[in-house]
Amino acid sequence: MRDLEVSDLVKSYRGRVVLAGVDLALDEGEFLSVLGPSGSGKTTLLRVIAGFERAEGGSVRVHGQIVDDVATFVAPERRHVSYVPQEGSLFPHLTVAENVGFGLTRRDRRGRRVSDLLDLVGLAGLAGRYPHELSGGQQQRVALARGLAVEPRLVLLDEPFSSLDVSLRSVVRADVRRVIREAGAAAVLVTHDQDEALSLSDRVAVLDGGRVAQCDTPARLYAQPATPELARQFGEVNQLAGTARDGRATTALGDVEIATPVAAGAVEVLVRPEQVVVGGPTARVLAEVLATEFYGHDAVVRLRPEVAGAPVVVARVANPSSLPGPGERVVVGVRGPVVAWSKDEGEGPPQARPT
Amino acid sequence: MSPATTTLPGAQVDRSARPRRARRPVLLLGATGLVVVALAGPLVFLLVEASGAGWASVADLLFRSLSLSLLWNTVRLTVVVTALCALVGTLAAYLVERTDLPGRRVFGALLVIPFAIPDFVVSFGWTSIAPGIAGYWGAVLVMTLAVYPLVYLPVAASLRGSDPALEEVARSLGLGRVARFWRVTVGQARRAILGGCLLVALVILAEYGAFEILGYQTFTTEIFSEYSAGFNLAAASALSLVLVALSLVVLAGETAVRERRGERVARGAARRLAPQALGRATAPALVGVGALVVAALGVPVGATLYWIAAGGSSGLTGESLIGAGLHTAAYGAGAGLLATLMALPLALLVVRHPTRMRRALSNATLLILAVPGVVVALALSSFTEQHLGGLGYQSAPLLVVAYALMFFPLALVGVRASVAQAPRALEEVASTLGLGRARVFVRVTLPLVAPGLAAAFSLVFLSVVTELTATLLLIPTGVQTLATQFWAFQQNLAYGQAAPYALVMMAVAAVPAYMLGRFFDRLPTQRQGGDVAMVLA
Amino acid sequence: MGAAVALSACGSSSAATTITLYNGQHVQTTDALVGAFEKAHPGVQVLVRSDDENTLDAQIVEEGARSPADVVFTENSPALEYLQNRGLLARLPSSVLAATPPRFDSPRGDWVGVSARVSDLVYNPALVSARALPTSVLRLAQPRYRGLLGLAPSETDFQPIVTAVLRRVGRARTLAWLEGLKANAGGHLYPSNEALTLAVNRGAVALGVINQYYWYRLRSALGASAMHSRIAPFAPHDPGYVVDVSGAGVLASSHHRRAAEAFVRFLVSRAGQEIIAHSESFEYPIASGVATVQPETPFDALRPDPITIAQLGTGDEAVALLREVQLL
Repeated sequence: MRDLEVSDLVKSYRGRVVLAGVDLALDEGEFLSVLGPSGSGKTTLLRVIAGFERAEGGSVRVHGQIVDDVATFVAPERRHVSYVPQEGSLFPHLTVAENVGFGLTRRDRRGRRVSDLLDLVGLAGLAGRYPHELSGGQQQRVALARGLAVEPRLVLLDEPFSSLDVSLRSVVRADVRRVIREAGAAAVLVTHDQDEALSLSDRVAVLDGGRVAQCDTPARLYAQPATPELARQFGEVNQLAGTARDGRATTALGDVEIATPVAAGAVEVLVRPEQVVVGGPTARVLAEVLATEFYGHDAVVRLRPEVAGAPVVVARVANPSSLPGPGERVVVGVRGPVVAWSKDEGEGPPQARPT
Repeated sequence: MSPATTTLPGAQVDRSARPRRARRPVLLLGATGLVVVALAGPLVFLLVEASGAGWASVADLLFRSLSLSLLWNTVRLTVVVTALCALVGTLAAYLVERTDLPGRRVFGALLVIPFAIPDFVVSFGWTSIAPGIAGYWGAVLVMTLAVYPLVYLPVAASLRGSDPALEEVARSLGLGRVARFWRVTVGQARRAILGGCLLVALVILAEYGAFEILGYQTFTTEIFSEYSAGFNLAAASALSLVLVALSLVVLAGETAVRERRGERVARGAARRLAPQALGRATAPALVGVGALVVAALGVPVGATLYWIAAGGSSGLTGESLIGAGLHTAAYGAGAGLLATLMALPLALLVVRHPTRMRRALSNATLLILAVPGVVVALALSSFTEQHLGGLGYQSAPLLVVAYALMFFPLALVGVRASVAQAPRALEEVASTLGLGRARVFVRVTLPLVAPGLAAAFSLVFLSVVTELTATLLLIPTGVQTLATQFWAFQQNLAYGQAAPYALVMMAVAAVPAYMLGRFFDRLPTQRQGGDVAMVLA
Repeated sequence: MGAAVALSACGSSSAATTITLYNGQHVQTTDALVGAFEKAHPGVQVLVRSDDENTLDAQIVEEGARSPADVVFTENSPALEYLQNRGLLARLPSSVLAATPPRFDSPRGDWVGVSARVSDLVYNPALVSARALPTSVLRLAQPRYRGLLGLAPSETDFQPIVTAVLRRVGRARTLAWLEGLKANAGGHLYPSNEALTLAVNRGAVALGVINQYYWYRLRSALGASAMHSRIAPFAPHDPGYVVDVSGAGVLASSHHRRAAEAFVRFLVSRAGQEIIAHSESFEYPIASGVATVQPETPFDALRPDPITIAQLGTGDEAVALLREVQLL
């Protein structure tokens, strides 16, 4: 059974349509991130799922049961959906232990549940503290423990890491992910930070223009973006014109394999910098090195293929032991399949890339 | 934010080799010392007067059944009214701030106005139209209606300022409306409620006029009787010491309960919480809030207007409304200014250079609220007679000093709240920009604390407008304030003539009451509005 | 209105003399008298300081030789006797004292009687019938009045009655009587006679002892239709039937002795007494042969306890007794 099913959800805010038919589905115990810039409606989506706002169209099912549609509205307190807000929002007048036990019955509050959860989030020693005595990261962990204490079917996380120091963020993220996995709950995380979304989630739903542009595993989102915009969103790309035929395309970087079926003819091809190979047996095309940037674990090489009308191409070279100097001529090629879109279907002319 | 630890790069260069101790705030300590000595005066006077009678006779006076029944009267009234105010004030604040109660904006405004209605005018309003309102239950009713805004105001401010996500979290954790009200709304507002209750209890302990009209005896009315009927200053002083002791109990109790503190942790987005739908509870809620407005605002104002319309002459003459109003305003403004100035050094000392000792001292100044006005007045007049050769006796300046002493704690509330708002880092930045101490104070500190100073001023002003017993003793001969003139007419049952003074009193008090309301509203959410009351301790 | 008094006083010209009156009397009476006096004596202005008479006494004692007061005007004789016994009042000219029958003046001549009131029963006929009323204040201590009686023990008007009872029956019986009153009153203790009168009128208690004018003033304020109470005298010469004299004196420390005396003289003059006679304060004029025009028992028809001013004294014995039974 699916832990969450959102279909064709519509919601407007102050006269502006924010969600224009959102579809989402969470498998049991799945961790899904909703990614989008601020104002994209992701928080609204979360609030509708929690039940703080009512949908104007479509439906929400939690664990198979309809909680919001034309006919039904289940109050938030009866949905068994936990909500961890942006700032943690711990009850300032209660201790850590009292916060964690907040949703429990009086009897359960006295039992082992609270201390188990505090152990789980690694705050066993802080049960008697008040929220203002905790660091931001500790507050988030307490907020999570509080949400998990009631054994929810689903946990909603509203940008829970955005208020944390960068140094703290990755640690807390990893902890949160582990704790939710151990608790066996499904979770929806709302964020505008794509690193966060990609590194934490089983799947990521990208919200754009009030709809889900693509919902996929992080790997597929990166390797097979549904649109050029999505491709550009997840990392640097080289954008090349080409001609497609029989699953391959001819470009300024030579003949490349296309990952997804595309109609023959003029295409736009996107090549990730790490797909560009400098030197080696597969490299066929001559290019001039314009500049290099050394980063230790890898390096970036900017090249211009010696093909008429070719754009500057960025290559990322792993384990760079010896780099070609500017002005040197090298051979380049492409490793692995690339994404391509037929130019007719494209959404306007490709923009200048890369940096 | 911890301003105390903030240092700015390059702000200070310590050239000395030895580690320096923090500079002692000598000026502040000196100014505070003076203020504290002035405040301690009336308490010392009490002790001297009471001991002058000999401890045996004081003991005789205190340990008799009359004292016991007064104690019982005072305590049961204080406890019940405080509890009722907590209930009424919190519920009303919740309904107005957190639900979809129809007309809640209007109610929000109406519920604050009784703050500007003197307690004895509420008492007058009720007894003059319903003479059956008297005794214990009359006192419970009248005092609850008169002082519930002391709870309502800070609780409403705290609810407005608190994080809306807390309610949502509680819902997602499965709490229904009632559970949320108790565990989230009341829980969060607890500091504000407690602070309000503290003020309510102290006000009831010190109340005189309302009980005099209602014919209800408490320690304070008995102190006045002792003094006026028997002219027994020693007895009055001994009884006052009991009042001071009662206030200490209230303070200690409040401190004990408040130990568990919680501050709002971080500031969320400036999102207002969607009001909770009342549903079927709408009608009862509307009736309840409406009844409160009618009882606390409608009856006093209505009765006042009724008596003005009914007229009636007892052949009394008195100072004109305008004259009494101007005198009242002048005294109120003078006392507000003086008390605020007096509170500034102590507030700065406690907030900027806190030690246990200084905090305790600051809390101890609250005790002056429990000293009856007549005692403060007697202490002052006795002081001028014995040490100043009668200089300033029955003069406006001395009266203003008396007011400033009596209402000093109220000024301290506002000033402490606002000094806490002014981060020290700003002053440090200013001083790195080359401003001297004085200019830093004028250009940085003062503008930051100005709203709190205005609140302090308003609180004192409001209290002066309704002060009676000290005024009667110290006011320049031939001058009347609104309160004394109202009192003279009311005492002589000349309601038609008393009523206009009540009306003007309410009008004069409305301005500072409005300013106070604004202050509560504008307090940054990080320190919730409830802290205004809580800054007391 | 009196604002004119206050404001003109602030800007008084050098020619005018300003005297300060410490007024323990009801402001109705005083304001009318001061107004008329100032009209008759354009060179003198009177600043009035009104408060409870004992509070004023306390203030005068505290102020000593520096007291700003020139004249003191009180509701009851004990407050004046108290000041006189401490040597704080100046002897009045015999021409002033002559205006009032000597029995209403200070025995030593330091103050003069100005007006009088008489104590009465006030009762609510719905709660107690006229026939059940006691003929003597002593009987009010009987158990049959339990729960019916209201008291205003801290009122200075109550002390003369206690003094009268003390003279009549002695200390032990007075104490027992007070204990009886206290038991009968239960919780019905009021801070003032105004409050007690109101309480009887609205039926909170059935009866109480007051001075007659409180009832008349209440009637004048509320209107006859709102009066649910009546007044009744005690039997002639009962110790509950006491005439209280209100009087005035000049302070020994006064620097405006002549103007002060002129004011006191005015109080007992025909003009002053006529004001009292017509005033809605319902006090009895007692000097210069003037009688009240108000519809109350004529002063001459009163048959009070024969207690004298000297016997009423300063009231300290009464206060001690009241305190002993813890009514104070």
